[in-house]
Amino acid sequence: MSLSTSSPRTESARRTGQGSVLTKDGLKVWLGRLLESHRVIAPAVEDGVLFFQPVSRPQDVVLEGKTAISPKGWVHPQTEVLFRVERRDGATALESPEEPPQQVLFGVRPCDARGIKHIDKVMLAEPSDGLYARRRERTALVGLACSQAWPECFCTSLGLAPDDASDVDVMLTLAGDIFLARAVTEKGKALLELAPLEDAPAGEPAVAQLAKFPTDGLAPAMKANFDSKYWAAVADRCIHCNICTFVCADCYCFDVRDAHVGGTVERLRCWDSCQAYGFTRIAGGYERRATKGERMRQRFAHKLLYYPEQFGEPLCTGCGRCVVACPVNIDIREIIQDVLKMGVKSATARAE
Amino acid sequence: MQPYLATLKEARYITGDVKVLSVEINDPVAREAFKYAPGQFAFVSAFGVGESAVTFVSVPHRPGPLEFAIRRVGTVSAALHELDVGATLGVRGPYGNRFPLEDYRGKDILIIGGGIGMAPLRPVINYLLDHHDQYGNLTIINGARSPQDLAFAEEFETWAKAPRTRLELTVDRGDDVWKGRVALVPAVVEELKPSPANCVTITCGPPIMIRFVLQSLKKLGFADSQIVTTLEAKMKCGIGKCARCNVGEKYVCQDGPVFTFDQIATFLEGF
Repeated sequence: MSLSTSSPRTESARRTGQGSVLTKDGLKVWLGRLLESHRVIAPAVEDGVLFFQPVSRPQDVVLEGKTAISPKGWVHPQTEVLFRVERRDGATALESPEEPPQQVLFGVRPCDARGIKHIDKVMLAEPSDGLYARRRERTALVGLACSQAWPECFCTSLGLAPDDASDVDVMLTLAGDIFLARAVTEKGKALLELAPLEDAPAGEPAVAQLAKFPTDGLAPAMKANFDSKYWAAVADRCIHCNICTFVCADCYCFDVRDAHVGGTVERLRCWDSCQAYGFTRIAGGYERRATKGERMRQRFAHKLLYYPEQFGEPLCTGCGRCVVACPVNIDIREIIQDVLKMGVKSATARAE
Repeated sequence: MQPYLATLKEARYITGDVKVLSVEINDPVAREAFKYAPGQFAFVSAFGVGESAVTFVSVPHRPGPLEFAIRRVGTVSAALHELDVGATLGVRGPYGNRFPLEDYRGKDILIIGGGIGMAPLRPVINYLLDHHDQYGNLTIINGARSPQDLAFAEEFETWAKAPRTRLELTVDRGDDVWKGRVALVPAVVEELKPSPANCVTITCGPPIMIRFVLQSLKKLGFADSQIVTTLEAKMKCGIGKCARCNVGEKYVCQDGPVFTFDQIATFLEGF
């Protein structure tokens, strides 16, 4: 293979600079260019709260801090139209929603990127969800390594790292007052072609350090303690506000319902929560998970047992938002450690 | 998750609160391609109200429209009951696994249905009757709260007269004209004493009936692996994504709805 200077790779490198670093000004230039061709969804402050939202100006993007909720809603919307029922001249027709735009989710933390990957595995499994697949196809993720950890963070305990680049298209890592920029995928390479990369000497990458607790053997321990009274005890203080599931970077349960908008019927897909009474109630009134304990157990069994059995890893990325949001301090980190402790105990009991 | 548009061809009450809807998919190509098997289900839409998962009661190998037996119990079923013939509705599917009827060739078959639980059993019965030379004796126990609640009464004569077929009807409470049995389904099972030798039982009905039928069958020596049922669960997608119908680690929509009781015995969660 020739290393001639006319190879496309070198051409593009010359156009964008040979380097792999972006100054903070360079980052704004890049964002400006991305905004010309993409919807850019990035952390920005609204009413004092940091949210992923569409931005129109590079200076509105805030890359310090942690968003109140993950950007999962931009691939798996809180509410979306599956189709509209049009009635014209006595005939009924179903109209598909408009095609999703090309979008960049900018400044996505590794935990949130992994959350989207976890949702991908469900929605893209055969038979793939067409609407989700089209939106995902048109979405690129620009990741941002965490240079600081927040008190609720525990990603490393679940095998992630604050600079884990496995689920993003481009990875940015803060180093001093510049960003190291690395294309992870072909999609990312194309995005970075628009960036004014420089050769400026980089400082030391700033990557958060987190304390780690062991999580090995979690799925078997969940199974061993499935019938434990523990779940009812933990659920006692739950006020079933469902916030844990809505702020979760991974939770993807949804409801499908019809809504009347003007003269049109829309079939909607909306986030739902397994913590809600009625989630499994069938026509006639029978509710299979009638107690809070059974619903609490479902949340953790799905995350720590069923999903791992299906896809090989927990449906949790350690973002800790459920810990922050829970009004009654139900803490998944404590639950994981309790279950592991019980798991050892029951195994010992059986051995005796 | 977009359904086919379909037309309500016929609607008839088969009990006081159960209506059978005959439905034809509008697009002839989709209609032709729509293949399903006994035990599978579809989502039926009443546009503007919603959609529900409903088992097929039509008999796949017999030509004709799709049929669903809808008991009026909730908002969607009520809306489906209100539709006029000629109305447009939605159908998507088929979903789920099916009764593995070809595995039961050469065996005696015992069908035990209660109330609307007869719905998924009706295509099974008619399949078995149309292929009776491949199977042993067929016993059907059909129970309901009252004589008016016995589903598929229009076919009782045909079923009862079929070769090597026995139909036993029973009701919880009779009325002035009812001359048949007044007994609970499990009591009928114990009275008939079907032999577990070379027999498969397929049962569907209210959970309380199933629980006691299981006890009766076990008394008679049936193993869990010989008893097949179909589970009902709230579901929104039918394709393993909405995370609503799981019973423990099993998804009723994809792993089921048809399970044997030895499979169910391994489920972590009750249903």
